[in-house]
Amino acid sequence: MSAALSETRPRAVVHRLARLRPGTWILAACGLVILLCAAVPGLIAPGDPLAIAPRESFLAPRWGHPFGTDESGRDLFTRVVHGTRSSVLIGVLSTLLGVGLGAVLGLVTGLGRRWLDAAGSRLIDAMLAFPTLLLALLLIAVRGPGVATVIVAVGLSSAPGYARLLRSEVRRVSRSGHVEAARMLGKGPVAIVWRHILPGALGPLLAVATLGVGQAIVWASALGYLGLGAPPPAPEWGAMLNAGRTYISNGWWMTVFPGLAIVGVGVIATLAGRRLSARWAGRGGAR
Amino acid sequence: MHDDALPAPGPTFSGVPGASGVPGPGAAGAGPQGPAVEGRPGAGAPLPRGRRRPWWASALWRLLGAVVAIWLVATLGFVVLQALPGDPAEAAVGGPGSQASAAALQAAREQFGLDLPLPQQYVNYLGHLLRGDLGVSYGQKLPVADVIAPLLWPTLLLALCSLVLAWVLALGTALVATGRSRIAAKLASGLELVASVLPGFWLAAVLVIVFSTQLRWFPAVSDNSARGLVLPTLGLAVPLAGYLAQTMREGMLSALDSPFAAAARTRGETAWGLRWRHALRHGLVPGINLSGWAFGYLISGAVVVETVFARPGLGRALLSAVTARDVPLVLGVTLVSALGYVLVTLLADALVALVDRRAAA
Amino acid sequence: MSRLTRSALAAAAIAAAGALALTSCSSGTQAGPASSGTVKTKTTLTYASGDAEPECLDPHVGGNYPQALVATQYLENLVSRDKDGKIIPWLATKWEVAEDGKTVTFTLKDGVKFTDGTALNWEAVKANVDHLQDPDTASSTGYLAFAKITSVTKGASDLEAVVHLSAPDSALLESFAQTWNAIESPTALKRSQEENCAAPVGTGPFKVASWAKQDRVELVRNDAYTTPPADATTQSGPAALSAITWRFIPDSATRYAALQSGEVDVIDNPLPENIQAAGAEGSAIKDLNAPRPGASNRIELNSGQAPFDEQLVREAFIRSVDVNAGVESLFKGTAPRSASALSSAEPLSQSWTDAYPYDLEAAKKLLDQAGWTVGADGIREKDGKKLTVRFPVSTNQSAPAEQSLFTQLQAGAKAAGFDVQISLLDLSSWYGALGKNEYELVSAPYTKVGPDVLRILYHSSGIKPAPSGYFANHAQINDPELDKMLDQASATVNDEAKRGELYKQAQEIIAKKQVILPIFDQQNHYLYRAGIEGLRALPTVNTPTFLDVKPIPAA
Repeated sequence: MSAALSETRPRAVVHRLARLRPGTWILAACGLVILLCAAVPGLIAPGDPLAIAPRESFLAPRWGHPFGTDESGRDLFTRVVHGTRSSVLIGVLSTLLGVGLGAVLGLVTGLGRRWLDAAGSRLIDAMLAFPTLLLALLLIAVRGPGVATVIVAVGLSSAPGYARLLRSEVRRVSRSGHVEAARMLGKGPVAIVWRHILPGALGPLLAVATLGVGQAIVWASALGYLGLGAPPPAPEWGAMLNAGRTYISNGWWMTVFPGLAIVGVGVIATLAGRRLSARWAGRGGAR
Repeated sequence: MHDDALPAPGPTFSGVPGASGVPGPGAAGAGPQGPAVEGRPGAGAPLPRGRRRPWWASALWRLLGAVVAIWLVATLGFVVLQALPGDPAEAAVGGPGSQASAAALQAAREQFGLDLPLPQQYVNYLGHLLRGDLGVSYGQKLPVADVIAPLLWPTLLLALCSLVLAWVLALGTALVATGRSRIAAKLASGLELVASVLPGFWLAAVLVIVFSTQLRWFPAVSDNSARGLVLPTLGLAVPLAGYLAQTMREGMLSALDSPFAAAARTRGETAWGLRWRHALRHGLVPGINLSGWAFGYLISGAVVVETVFARPGLGRALLSAVTARDVPLVLGVTLVSALGYVLVTLLADALVALVDRRAAA
Repeated sequence: MSRLTRSALAAAAIAAAGALALTSCSSGTQAGPASSGTVKTKTTLTYASGDAEPECLDPHVGGNYPQALVATQYLENLVSRDKDGKIIPWLATKWEVAEDGKTVTFTLKDGVKFTDGTALNWEAVKANVDHLQDPDTASSTGYLAFAKITSVTKGASDLEAVVHLSAPDSALLESFAQTWNAIESPTALKRSQEENCAAPVGTGPFKVASWAKQDRVELVRNDAYTTPPADATTQSGPAALSAITWRFIPDSATRYAALQSGEVDVIDNPLPENIQAAGAEGSAIKDLNAPRPGASNRIELNSGQAPFDEQLVREAFIRSVDVNAGVESLFKGTAPRSASALSSAEPLSQSWTDAYPYDLEAAKKLLDQAGWTVGADGIREKDGKKLTVRFPVSTNQSAPAEQSLFTQLQAGAKAAGFDVQISLLDLSSWYGALGKNEYELVSAPYTKVGPDVLRILYHSSGIKPAPSGYFANHAQINDPELDKMLDQASATVNDEAKRGELYKQAQEIIAKKQVILPIFDQQNHYLYRAGIEGLRALPTVNTPTFLDVKPIPAA
């Protein structure tokens, strides 16, 4: 595997792509569709997600409205597609925040002196004691609801996990032969961290972060469901599910499709994360 | 609903590679067997390699770690209180919108020591916490501890039932997933994947429609009776089971691949017996390690599930406190849950140590 | 992992969707009415409230609708109101308003005891007025209603209470009929507020036995009950029901499911489609429609600041939104459109249908006329300022269907060039936004017995925040003529015709000024299991009373 990675000639790339398993292909295609929905939702669902038509409310799925319509006659398909952006954005941003914070904490504890490691690890433990939703609710109680609060809360609560992972990866890599060798060769600590330790430790982090995006999306939708996320009428999956619950006896489709979207993205992100972590584990497995 | 599941198998395994608890086949190389053997000293300040403390020393060390974690949690709570916008005295007399008079504010300032220097306030705050005083709820005008106390048991009962059910489901799935039948294994791992990303709130809503409104098998409003507990327990347990099953399957798979399993096979151990007797134990360890996280997950999940099923409990109290911006109550519930997390983690550590000892013996 | 997992996944998803689809298809078939033959009955009833759980069971403290709902079961008033809006005897057998309107003498029913054994006499009335006026009680609703009372003294006997007023108050009897101004045991009122909040003591057909926070209030029958209001069917003896369990079930779908399965017998705050289903022939669930009195449910336009300080812009907004289409799609005919500032439960309510038409083209013309030009994004601008209107919505006070309606109106107004910014807020943030004048639109319910609610909502004195920070005149109408009319109406005692005429004129001014957009009555439906007989809403604030309910069929 690692040998193949270093090949960069076009033919080799094509060759490698052709050797990918069909599962990977499907996974990549699904990921692409999600990204497409997030980047250019208008391409897939050209309608206006906010356009109301009160006289067409609660239409069951049919030609023209594949997912049906909601209580205001808005097209659910359009709303689900347009909702991808905010959901994916919340997922990615909060994961970035979590990874960023986690990276700082992880590097400090992984590379720092013993007392720094001890202090940092205790802090990580303390942060872990706050479950995501509780931390988010605490922040919301203090700052009021909103997308920014959701991102900060989900990011903060995922940070200690990433920190711990990075800490252990950094420790593993820094004990490895080529880092020892670099140290012997008199390379400076910054250079060692930057050139040797980080590249080795970041891979697993990336894999876990991919899994994290899926989870962050589910969390954010839970907050939306509780009415603490994006304000209406923004097409946000959690908020749509909230409406679906209110009108459950009017239309099952209002509950089913946004829910499937969340589950779908969660599954794709998890599968992608697993693939990535399988790959990195394969590389780093020779410890 | 399970974001912090990812890399977090409890405080024990801080220094161990592959301890990420990441449910993924790829982790096999750095599989959960690692932690079981290597991770003992754990707890934040790993010892120099090669030296081992006696069990009582590491237990003491871990206890100390827990105390420090609780202290940090409390400190974070204090920071949150300081970060509150507006006048803390106003908060003390009933929160924003109470429009208290200047005299009342001054009285509150003196009563709650808000005019003292910050370090002094911090010490007082810790003192209050030590005495179990979590402040006064803005909304209910009662001590937070009094509000929380009667709600603890219903939530714990729900969490406990869910945990047990999740374990049963996870064990079953993991056993099938590591079994001979490829189709069954694929199906089981597919199920556990979907279960783990299933939003609990969605599941709860669907359960009500199907089993209460339509089939009328179970009540839509949950109480502490056995029938009333079924649906909320399911709503909480299924996603959790997905996670546990993934983690346990990883542990079992790597155990089955180990030389030790090969040796057992040569001794004539049957496939089933091997899985049941040996692999399972290795699946249990990472599962137990997730207990602390699972506890947090269940409390989080309780927020939604208790609301949907109109169950009195910590989660529902928390949500209504959030909508009322009742910060002392929110903080109180959060601190209690953090304390619970730390305790459960300690317990899980002890349990893992026990399983490990027996595995080593 | 790959294909098999994915197809398993798809299968699971489809199965889930199918299960849902299937169950909702069959949801049309309700269980039919109970089969013939002798029906087993029980004397305990479970009520499930979707309103917020009160923080205090004494409606003197604060004073909101959830408190009134439960307090109606254990507290009673000096007077009540019948279906036609006439004041009728309750704890007081008669009353006399002095010629100058500045004293009102109530004669109390003889031999009445509160459930703690304290006797009802003039001192009890005084203790209640004092309690409501004590700043430490922190009453808002009852306090405002009693604003003109200066003192209560003893009349000819212990059973005569003389209420002295600073000025004539034509709404005084209506105020005494409100549950927030109910009469509690003076002995019980002497307890700490905490104790009194946990179990207020009154003369009602039930009494508070226990309160498990977040869960339920247990009410048990007052076996020594002697004080039915004049319009009750039961005129002697205690209620037939022996106990009521008062549960709090915030989730509306769960609440309805509990009613359907017979776990609970009566619910409030049902969803429109559930009300609609209850109206169907042979339904196992019945609907009791009891709109809250006082104000109608309306959107108020803040005329105190730009852009709604201009009449043209207000007219434009009102014409730009298609309220009828939204109400029909969301409320399914369960909520008739209103064109009045007052609830239809108020006999003096006047409708001004012509004042609130939907006419998008007219709206656009009005905005052109006012100098607001269409910008690049479709939002109008004037002097570089966008036509942005902020609309804080209280999630505690606006039901989900109402919030959906506001979203629809938002989309409608956009077509005319309004940028309506809805923010869903918790109660204290919502009050905060109003207090800081950070709103152009607002929907604030106000329940009160009688048309005097107009004075509270639209008198210019309601613009300045009270010491409590609350102000009721959200439309910020400042019209001397209207003030005069409302003051006059309030002072017109002993002449109902003149009072009615004054309130009619006041409503006309409000309609002409285009400061409110009436939507419908404050929705208040109770759904109950078919077979429950004798359930009615008390015509004061339309809370349910269980005094007349016969033993109910066992589920």
